[in-house]
Amino acid sequence: MRGAGLLGRSLLTLWFLLPVLGVVVWAGADEWRSPATLPTDWGLRGWDQSWDQDMAPALLRSAVLSLLVATLATPLGAAAARWLSYTRSPTRSLVAAIMLAPVFLPPFALVLGSDVILLRLQMPALAGVVLVLTVLALPYTTYVMLATYQSYDPGYDDEARTLGASAVTALVRVHLPLVMPGIVTAWFLALLVGWSDYVVTLVIGGGLFVTAPLLVAAQASGTGNEPAVAALVVVTVVPPLVLAVLVSRLRPRITLEA
Amino acid sequence: MTAALTLDGLVHRFPGSSTPVLDHVDLEVPVGDCVALLGPSGSGKSTLLRCAAGLDTPAGGRVLMDGRDVTRLAPERRGVSLVSQRPLLFPHLAVRDNVAFAARVRGASRREARAGADRYLDLVQLRHLGRRHINALSGGQQQRVALARALAAGPDVLLLDEPFTAMDPELRLEMHDLLEELRAVLEPTVVLVTHDHDEASAVADSIAVIVDGRLVQHGAVDEVYARPAGETVHRLLGGRHAVRGVTCGHVHRSSLGELALPADSTCPDGPSLLLVRHEALRLVAADDPAATTRGRVVGTRRRGAKRVLEVSLGAEVLIVEVQPGGTSAVGDHAGVVVPATAVWAVPDVRDGADDRSDLITARPQHGED
Repeated sequence: MRGAGLLGRSLLTLWFLLPVLGVVVWAGADEWRSPATLPTDWGLRGWDQSWDQDMAPALLRSAVLSLLVATLATPLGAAAARWLSYTRSPTRSLVAAIMLAPVFLPPFALVLGSDVILLRLQMPALAGVVLVLTVLALPYTTYVMLATYQSYDPGYDDEARTLGASAVTALVRVHLPLVMPGIVTAWFLALLVGWSDYVVTLVIGGGLFVTAPLLVAAQASGTGNEPAVAALVVVTVVPPLVLAVLVSRLRPRITLEA
Repeated sequence: MTAALTLDGLVHRFPGSSTPVLDHVDLEVPVGDCVALLGPSGSGKSTLLRCAAGLDTPAGGRVLMDGRDVTRLAPERRGVSLVSQRPLLFPHLAVRDNVAFAARVRGASRREARAGADRYLDLVQLRHLGRRHINALSGGQQQRVALARALAAGPDVLLLDEPFTAMDPELRLEMHDLLEELRAVLEPTVVLVTHDHDEASAVADSIAVIVDGRLVQHGAVDEVYARPAGETVHRLLGGRHAVRGVTCGHVHRSSLGELALPADSTCPDGPSLLLVRHEALRLVAADDPAATTRGRVVGTRRRGAKRVLEVSLGAEVLIVEVQPGGTSAVGDHAGVVVPATAVWAVPDVRDGADDRSDLITARPQHGED
């Protein structure tokens, strides 16, 4: 059984590493001609090129965008999940279906439909991008928080109130610390939605707001840019990976003292 | 710090329901008293506590503390603490910080709050576990901490919502003793919700019986046992016999014979139920002149050290407890003494109460304890 477990873990690791491996190698190659197994010329040409292509500003835009989306979608998802968990309203199923609809709709349908409305409303492009991405992230934050609230006993809030805590104090000192693991997970998922988005940023943003995925796509559409594309992909993948590790390590420690 | 709690015509409905879960409940809990709120599941006991605590807003009526109307006051401003069946200790805080919670939210420094918490942990004999995580505690220990946490908030009124129900019998007795000790030291006004009449009589000064959202009786423990307001109250208090018959001038006539009712009986003449406390019934020899009625033993079973005999009086069966060592066996003739202090009559409101031919039946509740 231990052998089977080890084999399973190894296969799983390979499953994740293989696609990344090629990119990582390309990021350290100046030239890699077929049929050579390894690059024929090692170097950092791709990094120089991507830096010249405004890699840093694009990463900064991605970071701002994803933080805005996560910051909006997490409390909204938490509020929606709390309502869905405790309401007896007959409209509950309908609201739940509408909240989860963006997951089932083809992104292009949603984005093109939204674009028309947002243009009519003369909404600034960045605000439109944030708004639509927040809607797209909401199903994930709502779903995670729904699972959190299913195992949360609202008696904790009542207990805090009868012990002298105001509604706000009970929220800060009891409710939030207890649902924090769910909030962190929801926030992280919403962050990923913003960080990795291409379609919404391109269509709603009109191509003017260049984020990391847009830069990667632009570079990848040309030929002979493999080192630069690989370098961009590596710097795009690393932040969420580091964050994922940090989140998984921090979560058990997120506690507050009385 | 302690206060009288008064519920004045309290009405509460769940959203979307026209039937009130509390129906004009009036209840007086004097300063420092302990009232046990007894009732079957779904009778509105917990809702009553939630309204008193401010966690639910009643549709009508008032909640008064020392005469002051607190009906619209937020829970944290009422001076009321609530302990539930689940201890609900905050899992992100250590034991001591749970008990220190109330002081901390009132603005005390961590050092002050923890020092105060230690005093209350002392009262429940758990100071040595103050630094532990709550998961390291047993269920009984967690409930003790919950009690200490509620008391550390310095409540005027302590509300206990079946806090000992999930415990094993030995632990429950320990908790009853602990509650008595805490009452002696802190003298809080207490309302204890329970569906266990033994618990109610063990810890409370008075018992309030609530059925279908209505307060049907409130009185001293002995009074409620001996003078139940009706058959439902009698059954809730563990009574097993409600014998149909007729009351005529302070005498109840039934299959048990003619029994004089207590002098303070308020039962009007007419069809009535004789409510008999089975614990007071005494088994004697069949030829004993003291026997109120006579019959044949038709069943026997053990209940701890005691034995319970079923004595058939024709069509009816009386349940009689006998001390260890009794020799009566199935088939024996026996007499049963029904003391005058063990009976109480109430008007018979069952269907068919006016049908004289159907009046005389005794209905022991087998298996009820």
